[in-house]
Amino acid sequence: MNRTTGHQKAVAAADSAYVLNLRNIAKRFGATQALEDVSLALRAGEVHALLGENGAGKSTLIKVMTGVHQPDRGEILLAGEPIAIGSAAEAQRHGIAAIYQEPLLFPDLNVAENIFICHQNRGAITDWRGMVREAERILASLGVSLDVRSPARGLTLAAQQSVEIAKAISLNVRVLIMDEPTASLSAHEVANLFRLVRDLRAKGVAILFVSHRMEEVFQIADTVTVFRDGRHISTRPVREVTPQSAIADMVGREMGLLERRTPAPHGEKLLSVQNLARAGVFEGVTFDVRRGEVLGFAGLIGAGRTDIGLALFGIEPATGGSIRLSDSERTIRSPRQAMALGIAYVSEDRRQLGLSLPMSISANITLPVLSRYLNRLGLIRTGQERATAEQFRKRLAIRTPSVDLAAGKLSGGNQQKVMLSKWLNTHPTLLILDEPTRGIDVGAKAEVHAMIGELAAEGIGIILISSDLPEVLAMSDRVLVMREGRQMAIFDRAEADSETVMFAAMGQTTQPAITGAAA
Amino acid sequence: MRWLQRNIRPEQIRELSLLLLIVVAVLFFGSLIDGYYTSRTFNRIAASVAIITVVAVGQTLVVLTRSIDLSVGSIAGCTAYFAGSMAAAHHDLPPLAVVLIAVALGAVMGAINGVLVAWGRVPSIIVTLGSLAIYRGILIDYSGAKTVTTDSLPAWIVDLPRLTFVTIGNLDIRAMFALAVAIVVLFQIGTSFLNVGRQFYAMGSNPDAAHLIGLPTRRIVFSAFLLSGALSGLAGFMFLARFGNITVEAARGLELQVVAAVVVGGVNIFGGSGTVFGAMLGAIMIGTLEQSLFRLQISEFWRDAILGLLILLAVASDAVILDRLRALWARTDLKLVTRAEAEP
Repeated sequence: MNRTTGHQKAVAAADSAYVLNLRNIAKRFGATQALEDVSLALRAGEVHALLGENGAGKSTLIKVMTGVHQPDRGEILLAGEPIAIGSAAEAQRHGIAAIYQEPLLFPDLNVAENIFICHQNRGAITDWRGMVREAERILASLGVSLDVRSPARGLTLAAQQSVEIAKAISLNVRVLIMDEPTASLSAHEVANLFRLVRDLRAKGVAILFVSHRMEEVFQIADTVTVFRDGRHISTRPVREVTPQSAIADMVGREMGLLERRTPAPHGEKLLSVQNLARAGVFEGVTFDVRRGEVLGFAGLIGAGRTDIGLALFGIEPATGGSIRLSDSERTIRSPRQAMALGIAYVSEDRRQLGLSLPMSISANITLPVLSRYLNRLGLIRTGQERATAEQFRKRLAIRTPSVDLAAGKLSGGNQQKVMLSKWLNTHPTLLILDEPTRGIDVGAKAEVHAMIGELAAEGIGIILISSDLPEVLAMSDRVLVMREGRQMAIFDRAEADSETVMFAAMGQTTQPAITGAAA
Repeated sequence: MRWLQRNIRPEQIRELSLLLLIVVAVLFFGSLIDGYYTSRTFNRIAASVAIITVVAVGQTLVVLTRSIDLSVGSIAGCTAYFAGSMAAAHHDLPPLAVVLIAVALGAVMGAINGVLVAWGRVPSIIVTLGSLAIYRGILIDYSGAKTVTTDSLPAWIVDLPRLTFVTIGNLDIRAMFALAVAIVVLFQIGTSFLNVGRQFYAMGSNPDAAHLIGLPTRRIVFSAFLLSGALSGLAGFMFLARFGNITVEAARGLELQVVAAVVVGGVNIFGGSGTVFGAMLGAIMIGTLEQSLFRLQISEFWRDAILGLLILLAVASDAVILDRLRALWARTDLKLVTRAEAEP
């Protein structure tokens, strides 16, 4: 009995050393287990880095901590006391604040108001002078000079970050979550930000720092935690961690779940891109794609992979560099033009850019090339339209009772197949697939993979953009790695393994990276 | 230019230029209409402006939160009729009670809109388009198509429009106009210096952020509609006093004038920016146009068409001109910041 009490006391003492203690948190969204039995403890005056690949569960955990999502299971202790964080306002009352990559400011309110807008206990009447003075004092203590009376609209991202930090300071936060705060900052601005982070740490704030930049983690963090596939993998003091060990923890999943695709024989050069750039988004992208080749695009979210796809398809045209298609130079200014050149782009965003969900499956499939289905009076030949849809239904095994069903009624995997059908029906020679298997079940995923293989064998050149690293490695003949808008490397099939690719994606150069010429 | 940019915001330039535009309009109509510069013209315009202004103040709050209230005309009509028939039936009702009846009825109608928008998650344009028709329908049913007549009203209501608050030179400032100005001042102070007032701006400026930092977003939207309804109720009472005869058609089409006043007054239709004072300037512009075009014997239909054109011009120019001005301002800000950085 005594022993139990002693034990409980010891547990309580250990808990209260932590400002925030998350225990066995689980969260599920539909078929995806975003977090599984995850624990994380933050100490006062400590910078705790959280690492993980895309989809490792970092964002979900942040949303649980800030009251946006409620965990399915598990408990949250604040200074040893169990709490529930039911809303963003409650998180704030508990002294938990978050700063995101894209700051959440009010563009029409001025800087001072933005800093103090969450102070709901500051009395009913706005003390403009006091607020301006206070805002100036906080910003000055941060070493930032901003006109606090000017509206937040038009501030640079770095300035917006400073305002967010000032907001956190004004709230006397105990826990500050920084979700990739440096992603859009210059080196000089990052140095400033880190100075602020160290000040906050000295004041006893617990800081959770999420970043994809390995060197920054080693610069600023005291403790490093790695998540993978919604699970907690490791938590170690930074001195016991090396970039290699962290990356190994991040990618260390069992390979071999996905079978490597048998490469198809490559034909002539289809697409050749030289120094492609879009101002402020990506630059210096150089690669080529041959008939029957699958070129994988790997990299972390926001590395600029999708933007290259959008540029090649003319949705957000490139502003620099050259695109050669079948050996003639082309500028692509619109999707219509891209389609005429035989390019098809299957968007990652099924709902917004992909399908018209209330329309029937057959209408969706024929939409881009509807002019092929018109009779002499300009009316749609629905019989022919349905025949095409039926063909694709068989070929891609779209599971639906009828092609007249609204596309929105299908499961994610089948919607993906409809989208693929739609673009294959444009008879492309170059197919850009952006996250073709995201959010679909394992069976449908295998079918999409088989389809990619068949299409390559038919001589279509394929660009496969995917955040699912094993998928990129299994499907691609070569892998192009992007990081922060820059092309880091192109690996041949033989050289590409998950660690090499992840090293390049995180900007580590300790391993020899082979900037591959065309195969 | 630097001084100008540091001390005046692009939004304020808009309000100043509207003031200039009103002066130009008055000079223009003065040259066309004989005997335009008289206290009679002023009182006619002021009476019209007073009603539009009071409703426009409430509409401003709604528009600031990224919504719109199209039911204001129907609410004003209902309250005018209801308050009128109450006053006609009970001549001994104290004046304040009649006003409160109108305001309370308007507030209830506004609250219904507010609940449907804030908690029902129905877009405000749909909710208030529906209640525009429903409230008018209720009025027709309740009134049995009968009319409140001037004769049936107690004398104090009939005399109210001519009640003078203060006389400046040979201009009589009527009590109703003074009331409208008082409401503008009250709400201008409220939206600039009360925390709840600033929350309207925050809500419209970035609803996601407002939710994430824990502002009571639903309550903000609800109270905007509540206040819009209450002010429309007050305007209904003013309408009753001004015209005396209230039919089921009372204040029909008021929403067009009010929305025109609000957007011409520089309140951003996408929420987040604009002032109550600007809305009053908009109302003065609309009231001046309406009365002057009436004097020029231009038909009601053309007057509405001109209001429509003004709305389109205001929203289109808002996008273009304000963007230009802001770009100009942003460049100066940048220069100032770089200079400040270069100094030490």
